[in-house]
Amino acid sequence: MMFQSDPDDAAQRRQFTRRAFLLGGVQAAVGTAIAARLWHLQVEEHGRYGLLADENRINVQFVAPERGRVLDRFGIVLAANREGYRAVLVPSLARDVKGVLSRFAKVVPLSADEQERLVQRAARQSPNVPLIIVQDLTFEQISAVGVHAPHLPGVATEAAPTRVYFHGKTVGHIVGYTGAIERIAMDDDPILRLPGMKTGRSGIERGREAALRGTAGVVQSEVDSRGRIVRHLDRVEPASGHDVVSTIDTELQRTVLTTLSSFRRAAAVVLDIETGEVLVSASIPTFDPNDLINGRANPRGWQRLKTGLDDPMTNRATRGVYPPGSTFKMVTALAAAEAGVIDLKEKITCDGTFEYFDKTFRCWKRSGHGACDFHSAMKQSCDCYFYEIVRRTGIDAFAAMARKLGFGQTYDCGLAGLKGGLVPDPDWKRGRFGKGWLGGETILAGIGQGYVLATPLQLAIMTARLASGKSVTPTFVRRSTQEVAPAFAPIPGKPEWITAIRRALAAVVNESGGTGAKAKPEDGSFTVAGKTGTSQVGRASSETAQLDLPWELRDHALFVCYAPIDKPRYAVSVIIEHGGGGGATAAPLARDILEKVIARDPLGKSAWPGVSPASPVRRAAATDVKRES
Amino acid sequence: MAFVPAHRFGITSGPETLTEKLWRVQWLVLALIVLIGSVGVSALYSVAGGSFEPWAEQHALRIAVGLAAVIALSLVPVRFVLGMAYPVYFLALALLAAVPVIGIVQMGARRWIGAGGLQLQPAEIMKIAVVLALARYYQWLAPERVSRPMWVAIPLVLIAMPVAFVLKQPDLGTAILIALLGLGLMFLAGVHWAYFAGGVASVAALAPILWSYLHDYQKKRVQTFLDPDRDPLGAGYHILQSKIALGSGGLNGKGFMSGTQSQLNFLPEKHTDFIFTMFAEEMGFTGSLTLLVLYGVLIALLFAMALGARNQFSRLVIAGSSVTLAIYVAINIAMVTGLAPVVGVPLPLVSYGGTAMTTLMIAIGIAMSAHVHRSEALRRGDLSL
Repeated sequence: MMFQSDPDDAAQRRQFTRRAFLLGGVQAAVGTAIAARLWHLQVEEHGRYGLLADENRINVQFVAPERGRVLDRFGIVLAANREGYRAVLVPSLARDVKGVLSRFAKVVPLSADEQERLVQRAARQSPNVPLIIVQDLTFEQISAVGVHAPHLPGVATEAAPTRVYFHGKTVGHIVGYTGAIERIAMDDDPILRLPGMKTGRSGIERGREAALRGTAGVVQSEVDSRGRIVRHLDRVEPASGHDVVSTIDTELQRTVLTTLSSFRRAAAVVLDIETGEVLVSASIPTFDPNDLINGRANPRGWQRLKTGLDDPMTNRATRGVYPPGSTFKMVTALAAAEAGVIDLKEKITCDGTFEYFDKTFRCWKRSGHGACDFHSAMKQSCDCYFYEIVRRTGIDAFAAMARKLGFGQTYDCGLAGLKGGLVPDPDWKRGRFGKGWLGGETILAGIGQGYVLATPLQLAIMTARLASGKSVTPTFVRRSTQEVAPAFAPIPGKPEWITAIRRALAAVVNESGGTGAKAKPEDGSFTVAGKTGTSQVGRASSETAQLDLPWELRDHALFVCYAPIDKPRYAVSVIIEHGGGGGATAAPLARDILEKVIARDPLGKSAWPGVSPASPVRRAAATDVKRES
Repeated sequence: MAFVPAHRFGITSGPETLTEKLWRVQWLVLALIVLIGSVGVSALYSVAGGSFEPWAEQHALRIAVGLAAVIALSLVPVRFVLGMAYPVYFLALALLAAVPVIGIVQMGARRWIGAGGLQLQPAEIMKIAVVLALARYYQWLAPERVSRPMWVAIPLVLIAMPVAFVLKQPDLGTAILIALLGLGLMFLAGVHWAYFAGGVASVAALAPILWSYLHDYQKKRVQTFLDPDRDPLGAGYHILQSKIALGSGGLNGKGFMSGTQSQLNFLPEKHTDFIFTMFAEEMGFTGSLTLLVLYGVLIALLFAMALGARNQFSRLVIAGSSVTLAIYVAINIAMVTGLAPVVGVPLPLVSYGGTAMTTLMIAIGIAMSAHVHRSEALRRGDLSL
């Protein structure tokens, strides 16, 4: 009924139906034409095209580009490629894969197990995709395969460079390693489908994969039905990947690793405050990426590293997250000042304990520090003072300041797999545990305990930011070829407080009663400001002497510092896992590291360069002068 | 006053409940999408040398998400779609116009990929928007005025504007697709055939002038198409290789994962635009004809849906999805068989790639909405231009 109420539509519908059939007719005609074309190509012309396909194939193959090298800041090669040859087999050309492999095994050793594995592999994959049968052929083997080629259809040898790492034990964590393509890295780049192609799995190899990889070349050739090349037709050369210049000073890194070598697990970072360049990023224990690049050739080495004691493959400097302990007190102080809940002169009395509702928090010094203003509280690392000011500040303002100083985040610094640590706040806790925030958790966070977690790299960033007053961001690769220091934005925080914090950090090392006295250089050739940290690992009672505890329950020893005081240039963070007190264990190590850093400074100990010492050219010139004099 | 049911005023209500709506969904269409999509999954599995990565698995996922989108869209009231037709069209047009501006700024920042994504997107939206706008227009226009010159000029402008922007990008394939789609809809709306005859004649007359507007690489493609043997290793290489692969497949094909030409000899874009070549080489004429018939059935089914609709808007929107599909299939297969120049049009539901699939699924989803709400009468009087 309702349709009849619209007579227009009935007419329109008839019109549409007519046109639809007309258009349908056109489409049917096009469809028939396409079907006829397919019939023509696939059935009528099959003989001709089949012949063309079989006897005169034009074979287009990708050529892998050479991967870029990784260099250290002075041009020392850390990762490069070594020429190598391998044998591949195309199953469809071999036809009898098993037979060909057993004949091949008489030329080049190939175990029965391996042959079996390859036969199975060939059955599973497309018969036209080459299979790698042997890596790392010797020249004798290559020529042997060439001589026996008539009996080995489908077998070919090809150049396949392998990755080789120099100074692997020293810079393995930073350079990283390459491996077979993971699923996650599978993008549409056709290079990745080449057999044996490898991509960066960690470190700079992964973080700068795009620059290192390069673009594939293409070879067009005519091949006969057995896959032998009749003639080359066209060749587009692959474009090699770019070299990546790291900011790491390999020599210095080695020295720092030696300094730390007596500990089971430790990490240290040295940061150039002006440029944000990471000069040293040491992690103990170390591993050598050469043990990993050929997983199949060296399965035991891979297993040993994967499951090794103290997980050697973990880069503790960027992936180790630790409670920062008292090294976090600068964050607490700056947050309290920003919130306006404390002034520099106010004294807070410490009697060794701090009451918060029904909980009691202890100062590390049982007898207490008495009445302390900011300077003496920081110098002696009085816990009660910081309990009180963080209570006044509140967790949200505290967390905001921690983030501004570089915690709770990762950096795009050329290195893959950085950990962000943790800056806890009520939102995080609700999301993670579904529970509300407790006031006592704020108190603990104020001394860098509880939920707070930071990496050694982040601690060095914080130190650099406090020392320079700028939001220094780290980099593991040279930002550009120019020697212009990047312009970092100023950090938030009251200037008089930042000055006061620097004075207090200087006092920690240089005034009597400071916790970091052991960081003072013995010869007094340069000046250091720093902060100790001793972070509790378990819930061990503080009565037990550290050395009586099992190793895994001892405190972590931390120290952060910068030098020189007048014109801060280097920021250092050191952590010794289960190393005991920060002042006793970590501070002297930080001093040793700084001495090495400054000894390598090109312009001597007294004069401080205004620009980066990083140019390989300038550096080389400076050492030459030294040698001559 | 007694309660008067709404339909007494000529406003009829469509299906009310969710079950009623779902009952009206044309499930056969969805089944065909699954069938054709599975051909795509197996072909992509084969292209990857017998691996679900990196394409086949993702493709299956996209089909599943697309089907869910079709069902979700079919529940949207067709009145709402009608109301959105012009806004969507002009938004898409504004985005298309903005592409060169935004694109340049982003090039300066060397974000080429970002700019590429932006360039692609508005053109894809436009494929749907142009159908909606034309359907909306003919829903409004009185039937007796359809062939008057002024009322023919307006839809021509609606088509020409996006085509011009897309040509500038430059994306010849998409421009041809939008133009053919728009003209097809005008034909279905009943515009007098003399206009089309005149159009064909004038394009033939203007061809030399249009030729000079083509980019060099586009000219080269057309020249190559006309004479593929003149440059067998350069621009003609794709077509020649594609033909060798197809032809060597024969009647029954070389078998799944055994295509020597497309597996060993590299065909560019073999997982996207040239996927049909690979499929036809391995499955032979039998396989390629089967796939062609599957497409034909889907296209015909959509047309049947259009014939069942009770208003011009629904008819044209449903027919639009059918014509879109038909053009994609025709251009792609014609291209890989050497019947048309290489213009870069994917094979719908089979080629790997999200953009074309998304467009098609949305088009079919909107068509399904029109089908589900087919008994709803949309009155011309309620609309303005």
